[in-house]
Amino acid sequence: MISTAPALPTLLVIPTGIGCAVGGYAGDALPAARLLAAASGCLITHPNVMNGAALYWSDPRIHYVEGSSLDRFAAGELLLQPVRQQRVGLLLDAGMEPELRQRHLQVADGCRATLGLEIGPVVITDRPLEVSLSLGASGVSWGQLGQPEALLRAGRQLKAAGATAIAVVARFPDDPDSEALAAYRQGSGVDALAGAEAVISHLLSRELGLPCAHAPALSPLPLDPDLDPRAAGEELGFTFLPCVLVGLSRAPDLLPAAKLPVVGGASAPAIGIDALGAVIAPAGALGGAAVLACAERGIPVIAVDNPCLLEVSAEALRLEVIAASSYSEAAGLVLALREGIAPAALRRPLPPLRLQS
Amino acid sequence: MSSVQLLPVLLQLERQPGSLREQVEAAVGAHGTPLRWAITAVQHRPEQPPLLQIEAVVLNGAVAEAADA
Repeated sequence: MISTAPALPTLLVIPTGIGCAVGGYAGDALPAARLLAAASGCLITHPNVMNGAALYWSDPRIHYVEGSSLDRFAAGELLLQPVRQQRVGLLLDAGMEPELRQRHLQVADGCRATLGLEIGPVVITDRPLEVSLSLGASGVSWGQLGQPEALLRAGRQLKAAGATAIAVVARFPDDPDSEALAAYRQGSGVDALAGAEAVISHLLSRELGLPCAHAPALSPLPLDPDLDPRAAGEELGFTFLPCVLVGLSRAPDLLPAAKLPVVGGASAPAIGIDALGAVIAPAGALGGAAVLACAERGIPVIAVDNPCLLEVSAEALRLEVIAASSYSEAAGLVLALREGIAPAALRRPLPPLRLQS
Repeated sequence: MSSVQLLPVLLQLERQPGSLREQVEAAVGAHGTPLRWAITAVQHRPEQPPLLQIEAVVLNGAVAEAADA
């Protein structure tokens, strides 16, 4: 079915580092995102959903927005201005070995030559960023950065040199023998890198006001014959950078909401929170800034059964949501909203109306 | 040493009436500029408001240049 109704801007959130069955691995929520983009005609989502290391999907209906900018969009502080192309500056951690650095430069060159992306300039931080990994009290992946100012200095240098978006590659600690990594590769653990990745891109995007995303630099892992298909995207090559460059190449500009959106020309109008028609999130992970901001604005929240470490449900937070047993069902609900069909009319039993007392 | 620091924060917050997001942001904001946060557990207690567990990373210290977003 092809909808002829106007697009319904829809926000898809699958928090990183909480072990979601769908979206907790290497871009394994991408099929769901593609379906939701088709259903809504306009999907706003974040790198954890879209990044599959060497694998990616580019769809003009999907807007790639880093998590802290999504939170600010949901709070009504930012508008998303679609663009034809970003000039993606590449920020490399001085903590990377020369060979690993060269590999990443070659990935960027490959994306220029093969995909036609505009990439550059390239900057190396003036000292190693010192990324460390940690788990929170709940088992959720968090992380730390020993030299945040070095990251910001390099980011400012890129912005001053004309970059309109920034891809960061930071050296992450190798731990090939850890039980957590083995569990993740076999489909039963949390992505231990995710929390630190989020911190890096949040900090940079927040301070510079540019679209930013991150790829970790790691030594290649030994072959695992029991590799889970959801983690396989990260085992195809030497870097996780291609998906980040592709995502950022058409990421929307981030405009302060007080600024008037660009009108006319070839650009599509900027998207503001008032245009949002639905937000979709895992049923057990509703306690994030973007989902709460949307719920408090009365935007329909579709809570999808997507098992994860957390049990922060609609019932626990006393939120009103529309439940969906899968992303396929969520896509049907989004299409219903887009077509002006009340989701409740699709369910049985359909309780009779009662007079308000 | 860097004058800007990222610090992990673990909080418990008794939910009050009103905007939940604003309550969490105020609680996290008492420890620094919130960079990333989530409610990671909710404990229901008889005849008392629910107790929320919040995990966050905050930014502490002055960033050298003003944000230009």
